Amino acid sequence: MWEQVQQALSQSTTRVVSQVASLLPGTVALLLALLISVVVALVVGGVLRRSLNGINFDERVMRWGFPSLAEWSPGKSPTRLAALVVAWIVIFIGFAIGVSAFDLTLTSALVVRFFEYLPHVLAAIVVLLVGHAIARFMARSVLIDAVNMNLQYARLLATGVRWMVMVLAVTMALEHLAIGGGIIRLAFGILFGGIVLALALAVGLGSKELVSRSLEREAHRVAEETEEPVRHL
Amino acid sequence: MELDSVPQPALEQMERVAGADLVVGILRPGNNGVQAGAAAMVREAVEGFPHPTRAVLVVDDGGGGAKVEEDQSLPVVRYKLVDGNSPVSPEGVYGACETVFGIGRKIGVRACTVIASDLQTVTSAWIDRLARPALEMEFDLVAPRYARHKWEGLINRSILSPLIRALYGKRIQNPVGPDIGISGRLMKALLEEQAGPRTAGAASPVASVISTAARANFQICEAEVGARQQPPADWMNLSTLIAQILKPAFLDMERCAAVWQRVRGSQAVPAFGAVEPAPEESGPVDAGRLIDSFQLGVKNLQDVWGLVLPPTVLLEIRKLARLPAASFRMADDVWVSIVYDFALAHRIRTINREHLLRSFTPLYLGWIASYALEMAAAGPLEVEARLEGLARAYEAGKPYLLSRWRWPDRFNP
Repeated sequence: MWEQVQQALSQSTTRVVSQVASLLPGTVALLLALLISVVVALVVGGVLRRSLNGINFDERVMRWGFPSLAEWSPGKSPTRLAALVVAWIVIFIGFAIGVSAFDLTLTSALVVRFFEYLPHVLAAIVVLLVGHAIARFMARSVLIDAVNMNLQYARLLATGVRWMVMVLAVTMALEHLAIGGGIIRLAFGILFGGIVLALALAVGLGSKELVSRSLEREAHRVAEETEEPVRHL
Repeated sequence: MELDSVPQPALEQMERVAGADLVVGILRPGNNGVQAGAAAMVREAVEGFPHPTRAVLVVDDGGGGAKVEEDQSLPVVRYKLVDGNSPVSPEGVYGACETVFGIGRKIGVRACTVIASDLQTVTSAWIDRLARPALEMEFDLVAPRYARHKWEGLINRSILSPLIRALYGKRIQNPVGPDIGISGRLMKALLEEQAGPRTAGAASPVASVISTAARANFQICEAEVGARQQPPADWMNLSTLIAQILKPAFLDMERCAAVWQRVRGSQAVPAFGAVEPAPEESGPVDAGRLIDSFQLGVKNLQDVWGLVLPPTVLLEIRKLARLPAASFRMADDVWVSIVYDFALAHRIRTINREHLLRSFTPLYLGWIASYALEMAAAGPLEVEARLEGLARAYEAGKPYLLSRWRWPDRFNP
């Protein structure tokens, strides 16, 4: 009886040891891939940081209209943020390659699915960045023109435009990531339709008096302006 | 301007008048599209010259045939001078002037005069005074001096004239016309610079007329032409007007940095013609409305101005916005710094250039408000003294412009 137990235990131990031993090459490969990716990440990060410092990237980011990026960057430097992001991407890719070396069906499938999904993530990031840039540009255009037209609610208009564009960009990004599906489209349609309807109702019903008074004032102002003696040229 | 695609009728007209001495371009159509009296005016001016002069009149043919009284003594070239834009807008005038210069060069004239003002106030004396110094007295650029009341030409008074004086050392009332006389030599230099590979598509030749003249030591003078008719200020499109004027001026600053960086001080240029009395202003300026616009700008555009202006100037602007109308005064050094910093921001593209130029409008309105309050009861001499002070402030601020132009990344006080 004792011998049978001993034999079963020995067989189990052998199985566990052989399983562990079969994992060993994959683990070594994973560690090696990680080690190489860390080295590559350090090199790529360093080169990128030097290049970006060379072109005064931090200052340019401010000029391009992303001052908030510096606030949540490590050391308040978008250059360091960019270098860190690139370095971590390289390490993550190295990790994914290392995991695939285990030659296990599940991990391989996961890695394949991840790499299939990666372009969608990148596309969503690009959509968000472009959307953010367009939103800022349009908001600034609207703000300046509204101020030049003496509209007291210039900032409100600009903020509205910025959020409309950002909502559109986020919706497009989520669509790329295949998150939410029909719900997002439906929510977007309802939100946009709601905003337009609300504005139409506000102008048509609630603010009718206000709008007519405002238009009258503007018309009166234009008439007054023609009598002004100022000539700019 | 290269007149590459000249229509056949216009080409024949130009060939017919080859060898003429003077080209006179009339840009404005006058009443009902008729250049009433334009030809007679040119003829009268030319007959007054001491030497026989062959003149050619160039009129706009945009409407399909300008109605001008033509005879053997004065050939007329009809050409599309105004391309879509109204000739009243600076962009339209600049484009039309360029076309007239191109025609003048093709014909090979010795001088060219462009009349861009409303024909209601233009007389043959205008053409005489703008053309004669270039034809008879070896001057290359004849800039107009208008008889104007204290509320006229405010962009010229506050920006263009003192800026050009500080940059190129020439005291000129209206450095970019719009009515102007130039010699054949200057016309050639302007058009060649414009067509050059380095500057193609940059500033208009009219905007760069002073810089080109200063660079090659061309002779500059002014001609007293009297009062001119102007349409009422279009306040709703003021930002477009400012952008159309400042953009070529700033582009020209960029192009000619090597020239103006060497210039120190300023000199008056010779002026010809009798000074005519300024017209009466039609009433006071409503400074309250201008201050409201300035305050609205301060409230909303600080994020934009913060990218362009140094902190000390921003602080002064904020203080100014809190002042009551009675004590609302924009100091000359603050205004000069604003103009110079906008020119610098335009050069280094701190923000989108269109945004930059349009965001200048509330600041300009603030300056007008300050000037209007200060000069409400002032006479012509006080106004001249006030503007002379401003021009000196521009000259005094030039070292700041120079240092920031050369080292834009250095500490910004």
